[in-house]
Amino acid sequence: MNAQMPSKVSLPGVKQVIAVASGKGGVGKSTVAANLAMALHISGHAVGLMDADIYGPSVPIMFGLGMVDPKTTVFPIEKYGIRLMSMGFLVDVNQAVIWRGPKVAQAVQSFLTQIDWGQLDYLIIDLPPGTGDAQLTLSQSAPLTGAVVVTTPGEVSLIDARKGVKMFGEVRVPILGIVENMSYFEDATGTKTPIFGVGGGARLAQESDVAFLGELPIDPRVAQCCDQGEPIVRKYPDAAIARSYMALAKTVADAANKPTATALPFLQL
Amino acid sequence: MATDPTPVTLKREGDLLKIEWNDGITTTVPWKTLRAKCPCATCIEERKKPADPFRILTSQEVEAGAPLPLAMLPVGHYAYKIAWNDGHDTGIYPLTLLRELGDKK
Ligand SMILES: Nc1ncnc2c1ncn2[C@@H]1O[C@H](COP(=O)(O)OP(=O)(O)OP(=O)(O)O)[C@@H](O)[C@H]1O
Ligand SMILES: [Mg+2]
Ligand SMILES: [Zn+2]
Repeated sequence: MNAQMPSKVSLPGVKQVIAVASGKGGVGKSTVAANLAMALHISGHAVGLMDADIYGPSVPIMFGLGMVDPKTTVFPIEKYGIRLMSMGFLVDVNQAVIWRGPKVAQAVQSFLTQIDWGQLDYLIIDLPPGTGDAQLTLSQSAPLTGAVVVTTPGEVSLIDARKGVKMFGEVRVPILGIVENMSYFEDATGTKTPIFGVGGGARLAQESDVAFLGELPIDPRVAQCCDQGEPIVRKYPDAAIARSYMALAKTVADAANKPTATALPFLQL
Repeated sequence: MATDPTPVTLKREGDLLKIEWNDGITTTVPWKTLRAKCPCATCIEERKKPADPFRILTSQEVEAGAPLPLAMLPVGHYAYKIAWNDGHDTGIYPLTLLRELGDKK
């Protein structure tokens, strides 16, 4: 812990703040965050999605948006009923933003404090991959209800996911559960073929004593929807993976609304 | 995860901080000890240096006398920040440290 510990931001209008995290990059964290947000909205909730991945923002692409003129735009930007904020609205994603840690923390902090999120049932935060300073700062400064950790079934992804679980444990952010993405490929006959290993997510959940939130199948349409700027739960609501995202949204909502750790007591002088 | 003990009440009892934990244990620790073990970067550096026999107390330290807290505020779910009567307020004390430093009953 250092002296420049960020102080807690308070978001009075937001009921639940949920971080979607992963240790390893590329496991589908942003896709899960976007579809989770969309699924919660479809289920009737007021939802915001904050892209905290300052170096590799993906919210604009996934929602069919690009850069905007910050002078004439009011943030968050609403699309498909979801309130969105991303660095990708402000800078060109292809021009690598080379910022140092503190500046990244500042940007993320300003997304939380300077943007009027209004009244929300859920604010989903797409965390950058890894367990570095940015993740730690955010976990400490955002009023997180809890975190959802995304992993793929394979061992390499699990090692990093385990680090993520540990990091949240250290700052005592409750883990709402672990989601395993790209668990298997299901063909037309319903046969499920695992590609990246089997059962890793459930194992990690068990060893860390946290909930296992379920498996998400591999579906090539996920990437296609992403490129077309519409999350798959909205575009193909009947796809198996869309139903899995809807179920995930319900499980996450239940876990978030379950009374967990009460706030720490104040000192009685 | 949910197994780490958490404070139920924190009381200042004179020179002592008394914490009742949710696992039934009560710990007490002198404020003086807490001040001496301040986990902030500056104090950790300070403690690494050899003791200076000629070190002079700052006037603020002299005036303050025995270390006592002016405020002790929760930081998230995992720590407390203590503002001391000598003006120092950058130490964040994780619950695990508070538990470790306390005498258990
Ligand atoms: N269940 C899935 N089936 C098929 N493709 C998927 C699935 N989930 C994610 N993908 C694809 O995998 C790629 C990586 O996903 P995504 O960008 O969500 O990962 P990430 O963890 O956010 O990555 P980064 O670490 O770069 O932020 C994307 O092309 C996405 O469309
Ligand atoms: Mg991403
Ligand atoms: Zn100190």
